[in-house]
Amino acid sequence: MKPLLDINRLNIDYQSNKKEFNIIKDINIQIDEKMKYGIVGESGSGKSLTSLAILNLLPDALKVDQGHIKLNTDSTKDLITLSKKEMRKIRGNDIAMIFQEPMTALDPVYTIEYQLLEVLKIHKNYSKKEMHQKGLDMLNKVGISRSEQIMKAYPHELSGGMRQRVMIAMALICEPKLLIADEPTTALDVTIQAQILDLMNDLSESHHTAILMITHDLGVILETCERVAVMYAGQIVEESTVENIFEEAAHPYTKGLLSSIQSLGERSNELYSIPGNVPTPDNYQELGCRFATRCPFAMDKCYEQEPPMFEVQDDHASKCWLHVEEAQDDERRTSRAGS
Amino acid sequence: MYAYIIRRLLMLIPVLFGVSVVIFFTLRIIPGDVAQTILGTDATEDALAQLRKDFGLDQPVMKQYFSWMGGVLVGDFGESMRTGRDVLPDILNRFKITFELAILSAIISWIIAIPLGVIAGIKRNSKTDFTVRIISLLGVSIPNFALATVLILVLALTFSYSPPVGYVGFFEDPIKNLQILILPAIVLGTAMAGAVMRMTRSSILEILRQDFVRTIRAKGAKERLVIFNHALRNAMIPILTIIGMQIGVLLGGTVIIEQIFSLPGLGQLVLTSINQRDFTVIQGAVLFIAFVFVMINLLVDLLYSYLDPRITYK
Ligand SMILES: Nc1ncnc2c1ncn2[C@@H]1O[C@H](COP(=O)(O)OP(=O)(O)OP(=O)(O)O)[C@@H](O)[C@H]1O
Ligand SMILES: [Mg+2]
Repeated sequence: MKPLLDINRLNIDYQSNKKEFNIIKDINIQIDEKMKYGIVGESGSGKSLTSLAILNLLPDALKVDQGHIKLNTDSTKDLITLSKKEMRKIRGNDIAMIFQEPMTALDPVYTIEYQLLEVLKIHKNYSKKEMHQKGLDMLNKVGISRSEQIMKAYPHELSGGMRQRVMIAMALICEPKLLIADEPTTALDVTIQAQILDLMNDLSESHHTAILMITHDLGVILETCERVAVMYAGQIVEESTVENIFEEAAHPYTKGLLSSIQSLGERSNELYSIPGNVPTPDNYQELGCRFATRCPFAMDKCYEQEPPMFEVQDDHASKCWLHVEEAQDDERRTSRAGS
Repeated sequence: MYAYIIRRLLMLIPVLFGVSVVIFFTLRIIPGDVAQTILGTDATEDALAQLRKDFGLDQPVMKQYFSWMGGVLVGDFGESMRTGRDVLPDILNRFKITFELAILSAIISWIIAIPLGVIAGIKRNSKTDFTVRIISLLGVSIPNFALATVLILVLALTFSYSPPVGYVGFFEDPIKNLQILILPAIVLGTAMAGAVMRMTRSSILEILRQDFVRTIRAKGAKERLVIFNHALRNAMIPILTIIGMQIGVLLGGTVIIEQIFSLPGLGQLVLTSINQRDFTVIQGAVLFIAFVFVMINLLVDLLYSYLDPRITYK
């Protein structure tokens, strides 16, 4: 069966009349229907841009250079080449999106009702009364009890958690096939975070909605996702099931991310973090591996030649030269044992 | 809300009191004999004395002030020292003209400025944007009187047009009324449009950068909906500030334009009464203009809270 969303060799470039450079390189992601897929990586690794590209919402200076994003619903559409009009039919209807900052993601001058029903008005043909009822139902589903009252409220009258619930209601009201959630809980208190994640899990199951969860927090991935792609400097460096990633992480970057949350769990005084920062796109390594400068295991080869994705085990890929070394070591060992 | 309005209206009292003190005593400081100026150099001593007596100019200044204020408080602004007519009806009659001119100019300015400002904001750094910015710069920097004179000259030379003399009320003869007012309104409107255009452009730019715009696009909204229902509505608040200030200034009378187009508005009234040292008229007009200014400010503040639910007054 074809995946619901198939991102194939997606490249995004920065283009202005002054300079031009690559930001996102060769992203491949397949999301099946009802699947919960995560993208994780430090700030600046390109998670948001990848997700914005799906709905053609990239900032002006950024262009998709090559690649395909296929959406398989009743028919197959390539979202990259779609006309503006066709794209508008998909936004909010087949694919919905929620953003990190619930404080600024709503228009301050309109009521919740107006903004919640706006998306219904765009895509569906309901009477006023039906729409109002749908709005109330949806607010109840996202756990807002005084829904009549909240409908009349303005965004500034609600707390951050409430606003994010409203955003989720707005995203799901047209029953989309895919919900893209870009750091939906980062701006919220820890207790509210957990509630919102639970809510998203429940709703995606009851509405049969697939989720693309974007976060810098591996904890969020563990709680919500089935598969995960680890991104670094505009590339996917490791991709597999959540189990594989947590139990048998292969890429040094993933291992680094994991040890930073494990040291959090152990409450050790020294919080492990990967030394250095994600480079900005204009400083990406031209040749070789983009992680090499921060990698504790970097070899000469890592600076010279870009590693491909290696299949380290069934359904588990990692982009690192170490896997070749490991394979050669294994070979040597087995051949020595054999002789 | 009502409590707020009442409080704002109460604040009129100290403001108008201050204005009345300043204007009244400044006029009294100006050197020269008022009676002499009004009656001319060949007036007899008797006539001068009579005028001084009639208008209380022979009384101590404090006493003059309190008797003037006493009248004002009951709606009697006194009589003109020149014509002997009641001051307030004269001011109101002139104000009607000024008011109509201000509204007409404002409408012309919005029709030009808001669409162009929006387009420039959407297509930043395009040729359209560049053109709009030049037009708005010209609008701001060309003096009114120059534009007015050129406009009249061009029309006179090409269509042998001559500016209509006198004024006809809108309800008496709307066509004639518009014929009279349209030229000055165009001159004032284009001048106002420059600033409004710039403000529209920059606030649209600013709003389009905000997160909620992306949310609306992600809903599948057409660009038209994004711009008009959301961006422009949010951008109206700073635009309104500029518009309010401009209208406030226009309602005080536009001396030069009224002079060039021989419109008997409030500005002209103030100018002639200053030339003629017609104290009662000057005082009355200044007090009235201050009142109108405060009311416009109140109106703008109330509109703010209508446009932006985050602004509430208690
Ligand atoms: N409009 C833009 N023009 C140029 N570069 C950009 C633009 N937007 C983002 N970038 C760059 O692209 C890279 C990826 O950005 P992106 O927002 O996708 O990161 P992210 O993984 O979502 O990080 P965060 O966790 O901070 O949201 C960053 O280095 C950023 O500086
Ligand atoms: Mg981001």
